[in-house]
Amino acid sequence: MKVSYGWLCDLAGAHDLPPQQVADVLTMAGWNVEEIVPIDLSQLIVGRVISQQPHPSSRKPLWVHQVDVGDHTLQIIAGVDNARPGTLVPVALPGTTVPDGTLVRDGKIAGVDARGMLCSEAELLISDDHDSILLLDDGGPGQRLDEIIPSDAVLEVEVTPNRPDCLGHLGLARELAAALGSSLDLDFMPPFTGGAQPPGTDLISVAIEAPELCRRYIGAPITGIKVGPSPIWMRRRLYAAGVRPISNVVDITNYVALEYAQPLHAFDLAMIGGRRIVVRRARRGERLLCLDGETRSLTSDMLVIADAEHPIALAGIIGGEDSAVTGQTVDIMLEAANFDGVNVRSTSRALRLRTESSSRFEKGLSPELALAGARRAATLLAQLAGGRIHLGWADVYPRPQEPARVRFRPERIDAVLGVHVPLQEMEVILKRLDFQVRVQDDGEWDVLPPVYRLDVSIPEDVAEEVGRIYGYEKVPPTLPGARQTSWHPAAPSQERRLDPLRHALAGSGSTEVVTPALTSRVMLDQLGVGAEAMRVINPVSDEQDALRTTLLPSLLRVASHNRNYGRQGVAVFEVARAYLRRPEQPDGQPDEPLRLGIVHAGLSGPEGGRLGVLDLKGALERALDTLAPVEVSYERATATLFHPGRCAQVLVCGQPVGYLGELHPSVVEAFDLEGRAVGLEVELEPVLAIDLPRRARPLPRFPPVSRDLGVVVAEAAEAGALLRTIMEAGGELLESANAFDEYRGSQVPAGHKSVAFSMTFRSPERTLTDAEVDHRLAAIKAALVRHHHATFRT
Amino acid sequence: MNSPAAMAERALAAIAAARDEDELERLRIEFLGAKSELMSIPRSLASLPREQRASAGQAFNATKTAISDALARRSETLAEARISDLAAAESIDITFPGRPPALGRVHVLTLVQREIETVMETMGYHVEIGPEVETDWYNFEALNLARGHASRDMQETFFFNESEDLLLRTHTSPMQIRSMERLKEPPIYVIMPGRCYRRDATDPSHLAQFMQVEALAVDEGITVGDLKGTILYFAQSLWGADRRIRIRPTYFPYTEPSFEFDLSCGVCGGRGCRSCGGDGWLEVGGCGMVHPNVLRNGGIDPERYTGFAWGFGIERIAMLRYDVDDIRLFYENDLRFVEQLG
Repeated sequence: MKVSYGWLCDLAGAHDLPPQQVADVLTMAGWNVEEIVPIDLSQLIVGRVISQQPHPSSRKPLWVHQVDVGDHTLQIIAGVDNARPGTLVPVALPGTTVPDGTLVRDGKIAGVDARGMLCSEAELLISDDHDSILLLDDGGPGQRLDEIIPSDAVLEVEVTPNRPDCLGHLGLARELAAALGSSLDLDFMPPFTGGAQPPGTDLISVAIEAPELCRRYIGAPITGIKVGPSPIWMRRRLYAAGVRPISNVVDITNYVALEYAQPLHAFDLAMIGGRRIVVRRARRGERLLCLDGETRSLTSDMLVIADAEHPIALAGIIGGEDSAVTGQTVDIMLEAANFDGVNVRSTSRALRLRTESSSRFEKGLSPELALAGARRAATLLAQLAGGRIHLGWADVYPRPQEPARVRFRPERIDAVLGVHVPLQEMEVILKRLDFQVRVQDDGEWDVLPPVYRLDVSIPEDVAEEVGRIYGYEKVPPTLPGARQTSWHPAAPSQERRLDPLRHALAGSGSTEVVTPALTSRVMLDQLGVGAEAMRVINPVSDEQDALRTTLLPSLLRVASHNRNYGRQGVAVFEVARAYLRRPEQPDGQPDEPLRLGIVHAGLSGPEGGRLGVLDLKGALERALDTLAPVEVSYERATATLFHPGRCAQVLVCGQPVGYLGELHPSVVEAFDLEGRAVGLEVELEPVLAIDLPRRARPLPRFPPVSRDLGVVVAEAAEAGALLRTIMEAGGELLESANAFDEYRGSQVPAGHKSVAFSMTFRSPERTLTDAEVDHRLAAIKAALVRHHHATFRT
Repeated sequence: MNSPAAMAERALAAIAAARDEDELERLRIEFLGAKSELMSIPRSLASLPREQRASAGQAFNATKTAISDALARRSETLAEARISDLAAAESIDITFPGRPPALGRVHVLTLVQREIETVMETMGYHVEIGPEVETDWYNFEALNLARGHASRDMQETFFFNESEDLLLRTHTSPMQIRSMERLKEPPIYVIMPGRCYRRDATDPSHLAQFMQVEALAVDEGITVGDLKGTILYFAQSLWGADRRIRIRPTYFPYTEPSFEFDLSCGVCGGRGCRSCGGDGWLEVGGCGMVHPNVLRNGGIDPERYTGFAWGFGIERIAMLRYDVDDIRLFYENDLRFVEQLG
């Protein structure tokens, strides 16, 4: 909210405190001041115009003024002619900067000396009027302008949604006064100042037909008004608070709204059909021409103010054009009402129309504010627009607000805050905030918050009031925890358990990335992985309208992004969740499996892809081994996103956890990537759940014997099956076996390949002899011949 | 057959000329080996007349000793020369740039998150994690944000086609309720990191998807002072013992009282400079005393226990720590960025 520093300080009785200091006090009391825009008039002086001549040579209309500024006379040129001889005007001397930022130069305009500037209201940030020089009612030549019009500043204050009472200067001034210990200049409930006859209820009748949406409606007729401009002090404050001055009647309703946070509206009494106000839901097909010139179609969800026949305002949001106050208006009806916040908010959203009024009502105002606002506005209308205030207003208020009270032992406040606040000080703080405090015989306190405070209902609320005025800087920092007799034992977090895996992957050349979970539904569908995706109903864009079901597209996108600035090989991984629809769940919450995804992109050709797959397996096995000494195996498979001939299911200790392989060339192409890419995606939770503790084993005491074997088999025979045969036939003495080379060529028959295996034999009991090893090797060869029709390279 | 003296002369000359240890070994075999001329002498001694045997034996021994000694001395000399010559013989360009291994990095957000967790774990907190697709109850209702509550506007929310009750959590606070439900009995000291989502326009300081971390303590006698102390401990552990914090009152529906907490600027020490926007403080996060309704919704008796919660964006911490001025960099995964900080 834009707050006028001058207005605020006048109400708070806080004088001589610079804006920055006021901002600091407000901030520490809970009213964050985001910005301070100074309106500094101290550099300007008052001048009296001695003469005014048209500029002798300029083609544009300009006027040359001789201006008495006290000890001398200045020649000043202006583009408007309203500063006639004898008028008092604000003068900016050469070299000064006026509040709107214009630097005043000393020089010539179209060949004539110009020494300074006569200021308009816009240049002084008083209004947006550029078209005339501001004429002053007061002051003498050479006098400082800020003695006539004080300097001001606009504070941008963040008002929390629980305190709509502070969407007005009076509410914030009360906070400032409480923090400073000064006293407020205005009572919450102003006195009733009217007395004109006939009674207001004779001039207007009010009925509420939708009491669930309107808790109170006051219709106050003010008659005999003279519509005209409002005084400069009021226009200036409105302008500082971000509201454009219009006419005295409208300005007064806005002024009081900005003071009390109670939105008001003035209707031209003559335009209210039947002299009757009906607060009701809009009827089907009803339309309203609003003050902003737009005609809006209304629905029965919307609350309107109607006369005997038609809607004349949209309740709490905007008035209608036909019943608006004009220059011809003589009698008005002042509306001060209380509308349901949720309804105002939904109507305002439905119509995409947010106003000063709706933004206050939607926070939920106290209906008690309505009367205070109406009285204050009526008094100002009498003072500044010559209106007559009638006795006996229509005030429909079927269920008056229940007074709130909070009972507690005052020690409770200390127990929340962690500091002892002396009882007397606590009481003073609460009274400054307009709370009533009644100390009971048993020591309990009975605290009554002021009627406009709907946010206080429990002792913690009172503790907050005391704390923020007492000052949280006085609360000593402590650490919690007494001597505990029970506890929840600690366990390393899932994420921390995965750190060794991350570091192993980084150590093998992949870089961890963190990618968004929201992605494009169309993209998922096109890739064939969209079926299980959760769809966002209100996305910001269709690039982010579904939750990902797989990490691989995100990783491919990263590869693509990096390729675009010239990075060729990209190896990235991510540990993150996928989201899979689970409509059978009672609450509909999706499955959110934690997964590891890896993509290596930019590999060259089919052989690059094949080697990439092998590297990926190696990296995966190393990484998983950091979690537990698990056994990883692979079975040929097909899976979406993967190359049909180059994909395996990954099994950890026999349990399928995901897929690995080369990514489908058409998928790689879809991400604008060149060459081949390999990838994997595996579930991590099953791996973390494997309970396979590491145990130290005795080191072997006898030396190993190594043998290599070249096995020639048909193309279709795969290393995995050959290794299984070798391990089975090798028996207990075969410690390990691995394939290390694949060869096709002149020495191998067509349709065949030669696979080279290395084998390590060892006995835990003795040093093996060559004869023993040869015997095992013969058995292995026999098994390979039997199961795979193998021959052997010598 | 040469005389032993002639053999010795020839051998000593060859040994003195030997250039390396391999050659020396060859010479040892040539002059002292089983098939050498010298070593054939013992076998021929028997055929000599008795009176010549003694002198021939002595001559053989003297020659053998002389050759052995010469071999040993030359070997020593060559070994010394080899060691002493290393500087000249095997010098490399030691300033030649190193060969980096193909190492990847761990993402900076992971590192920062873990650092945060580590500080809190030293205080006895443990990590709780939970779902990102939440129900209205956990994300709003149980946290004192009833339907129609104006504060829901502060947290623009993504909803789902699948059910009107489902949404992407807007903060980690639903984990307050879930942690209380899971652990049941205080003392509860937990830290809850994770992804959160808000329907915000993306700019250098806002993202629709971001990471938060939140700490929750529920115990007997927890106060605002404890909240301050815990945040101060955290801030000093993460940023240094000279840092200060302050709490400023604000409003959240799920805490009462509620605060924003600020960290004293590390550049100016709190005096005010350009990097903190002049007031000496950097906004870090939100905090407060857990609202009694929230405790109740988590199954905790608010008459007996009180609690505090505080949280902030992990990216915000990373930005402060590494001088990153655009939050989007964390998720764009330009490897040139990731590799700088990982």
